[in-house]
Amino acid sequence: MRNQKEGNSVTRRDVLKLAGTAAAFCTSFGFLHAGQTGGVVQDKHLQARWQQAEVKWYAGSELLHSMAMPARVMKHLESDSNATVEIKLFRAGQMLSSLGKIHAKY
Amino acid sequence: MAGPHEVLGMSRLLGISTTEFLSLYTDNGGTTLRSEADGRCVFVTASGCRVHPQRPLVCRLYPLGRMTDETGVERFALYPLQSGCKAVAGREGTIDTFLNSQGIGPYLEWSSRYGELYRRIVGLLDRLDIRCKVGAEAGGPGRPGTAVQEQEHDREPLSSWQDIDASIAEYCAAHGLEAPAEIDDTILLHLQAIKEWLDNLDSRIENTAPREEVPEESGAV
Repeated sequence: MRNQKEGNSVTRRDVLKLAGTAAAFCTSFGFLHAGQTGGVVQDKHLQARWQQAEVKWYAGSELLHSMAMPARVMKHLESDSNATVEIKLFRAGQMLSSLGKIHAKY
Repeated sequence: MAGPHEVLGMSRLLGISTTEFLSLYTDNGGTTLRSEADGRCVFVTASGCRVHPQRPLVCRLYPLGRMTDETGVERFALYPLQSGCKAVAGREGTIDTFLNSQGIGPYLEWSSRYGELYRRIVGLLDRLDIRCKVGAEAGGPGRPGTAVQEQEHDREPLSSWQDIDASIAEYCAAHGLEAPAEIDDTILLHLQAIKEWLDNLDSRIENTAPREEVPEESGAV
């Protein structure tokens, strides 16, 4: 609409709006696969695979730090449904406790 | 999950605009209905769903899940019932009978129409050599912020097209039209407006590359 009145070039704003709309439709409709050669997969829950994992530390409601899983780890987690994530607490090299193991598929 | 047409239906039922609805009742960039602290949908009350007549497709399908492959073949799965769910599910009857009983037809049609536009958008992004990354996070890696800030950021729509009332108002003002009153007519005009936007971009995208532009406003793009 407003973009239609702009010049003949594609602006960064156009690209951001395209990407934002793609992300919105992808999430709200469950369109998880699309390409120029293929069709579209409509899905509500069945293919809801996560694409990014983060570890976050909170103090009450305040987010202290957020860290994304390294790409190498993500690649492994995505490709192996039996992969697991385990969270352990250490002090001076000695394991104090394990907070548990999470299966990657979740 | 709630598409723009579903947000429109629910907002009409509640007597509010889609702008208000997105602000009050959605999370994750306006793509999902908000949940209460105990995990239940914001519309689920002791007496049932507040928006049941206009409930989204995903709610109509439950306890089924549906997916189609690139050739259009449909598959369905049966989800385990959520604890506390009072729905009665059985294996008598057929999937068709169940889907018809839930009034799913129009929702699949709208989903398909928006899907066509989605494929065009992805195609345009491909031509611009933009890899569409979905699931951008609020307060992302290395960007500490408060949980409240994250939550507020999550509630901004990812795209201005999700707000049908605002989109249609802008479109109608630009074209000297009166905004339709009926839900179906509004959705059709919304689809038309997006299509025209994409047509315009399509024609401009040839021999052009993204350039720097100072943002004129904040919020949804």
